[in-house]
Amino acid sequence: MNEKQRLMNALTGVPVDRPPVICPGGMMNASVTELLGDVEKNHNADVNTMVEVARRVHDLTGFENYGVPFCMTVESEPLGAKIDLGDKRIEPKVQEYNQAALEAIMEKCVAPIQSKRMQVTLEAIRCLKNEDIPVIGNITGHISTATSAVDPLDILKMLRRDPDRVYRFFEFIGNYSKAYAIEMIKGGADVIAVSDPTATGEILGARNFERFAVPLYNEIIDVVHSFGVPVIIHICGNANTIVDSLNLVKADAVSFDSVVSLKSVKARLKAKLMGNVNTQLLHTGEKSKIEAATRHCLESGTDILSPACGLSMATPVENLRSMTEYVKKGCR
Amino acid sequence: MDKEALFSQISQALVDMEENTVVELCKKTLEINIPAYETITQALIPGMDRVSRLYEEEEYFLPEVLICSDAMNAGIDIVKPHLDKNLLEKPVKVVIGVVEGDTHDIGKNLVRIMMEAAGFEVYDLGRDVPLDRFINKAEEVGSDFIGMSTLMTTTMDGMKTVIDKLKEKNIRDKYKVLIGGGPISQSFADRIGADLYTKDASEAVRRVKEIMGRS
Repeated sequence: MNEKQRLMNALTGVPVDRPPVICPGGMMNASVTELLGDVEKNHNADVNTMVEVARRVHDLTGFENYGVPFCMTVESEPLGAKIDLGDKRIEPKVQEYNQAALEAIMEKCVAPIQSKRMQVTLEAIRCLKNEDIPVIGNITGHISTATSAVDPLDILKMLRRDPDRVYRFFEFIGNYSKAYAIEMIKGGADVIAVSDPTATGEILGARNFERFAVPLYNEIIDVVHSFGVPVIIHICGNANTIVDSLNLVKADAVSFDSVVSLKSVKARLKAKLMGNVNTQLLHTGEKSKIEAATRHCLESGTDILSPACGLSMATPVENLRSMTEYVKKGCR
Repeated sequence: MDKEALFSQISQALVDMEENTVVELCKKTLEINIPAYETITQALIPGMDRVSRLYEEEEYFLPEVLICSDAMNAGIDIVKPHLDKNLLEKPVKVVIGVVEGDTHDIGKNLVRIMMEAAGFEVYDLGRDVPLDRFINKAEEVGSDFIGMSTLMTTTMDGMKTVIDKLKEKNIRDKYKVLIGGGPISQSFADRIGADLYTKDASEAVRRVKEIMGRS
């Protein structure tokens, strides 16, 4: 069974020899400083470097996939956020929010295939496409994208004060994310992963999550499914308050942060379960502890092993190998 | 209308996110010569305390807390010009920010809002804050607390750097250091020698008040 078959089977409920161990990319990427070594150009902005780094992540950490891009700022750029593209030590980050009115932002936004870094990501996917290793196209969810482009406090207040207006903004982002996802699939993405860290239950609460997040997730999921491609969704932080709401989301797998007990979620969640080795442990922990945490995930019934959240760029490659090798040894 | 009834209406309007009502009722307090200090401490701050409790109980989430806090500030803006400053306690001063390398500031903003709601004087340095700025600002304003936040494991070590620098300058005892954020834990706080870690904003306010003997 090759890596692609194993992941596709795990996502669609077909039996596997063992759970796959992946790091999807996007918010949850393993392009750590140690791996970047001698690359000359910025792996967040240059196609060849992005491809090279995606291959290094697979070959050197043992994660069983390719995943691009390596950040969650690609989607907020066309919405006018000023982005610092990061370097070998620091991930790309939003430097300045767009202060304009939502309507003006939407008017100025360009289509995905015209946005420079979306083009870079799409071209990287085309280069990475292959028969054996699954390629994951990563998309930032509409809530996180909206709160990266515009001051999060303004967006959050609008959920109450101006719900229809902010929903139109979310819909707009959802629509171009859909177009972006379609291009990713056409380019050769085998799986689409949507990460929406700001949509955590701790920030929104279940009511807002169901009203503002779920319907638009399902729209993008329906489109991706129409191409026969599965979807992973990642929610950060304590998602315990929204587990039932997550059952309304039609994703094939849900990935949880380390504060969520997989064992307790397993019985309540309809989708496949992904997660959730603590990323701080992966950064600074000893091998034996990383292995114990990995074993705990396996014993809790996770369908896909992965880090629980975004990795620190200072994470040693050896620590990531401890996790992936433990899974591959098949110690169940 | 008597004073107590008016205060309870103000609190209720604040909890109900009715900013215009809060403003109207605060104007009424001035018309009937209720001291501004009482309106703040017996109507607005208790209202916001209830909001904090609703947040802890997961009845309210961030959108609701932010709107209530706007309503409180609108009320304070009305009565503040009439405030007899002599009545006020010396406020707790806090310098706060997200450490260098991290731009996630929702949590830090919530802490700031809750602290302002409790009457603290908060100096918000924003996000991605160079480590020396925490110390320089604290020295400049004579702060009681230095509060640092991060959501990322990469930038956690910056908190230790600030504490080490305070020690180097022999001013560690002048400040209490408060830390928080997703990956932060009590054991991390103990390890780097921070004075206080709390898991959320409401707890931060409560614990700071305890430390300052203001509860």
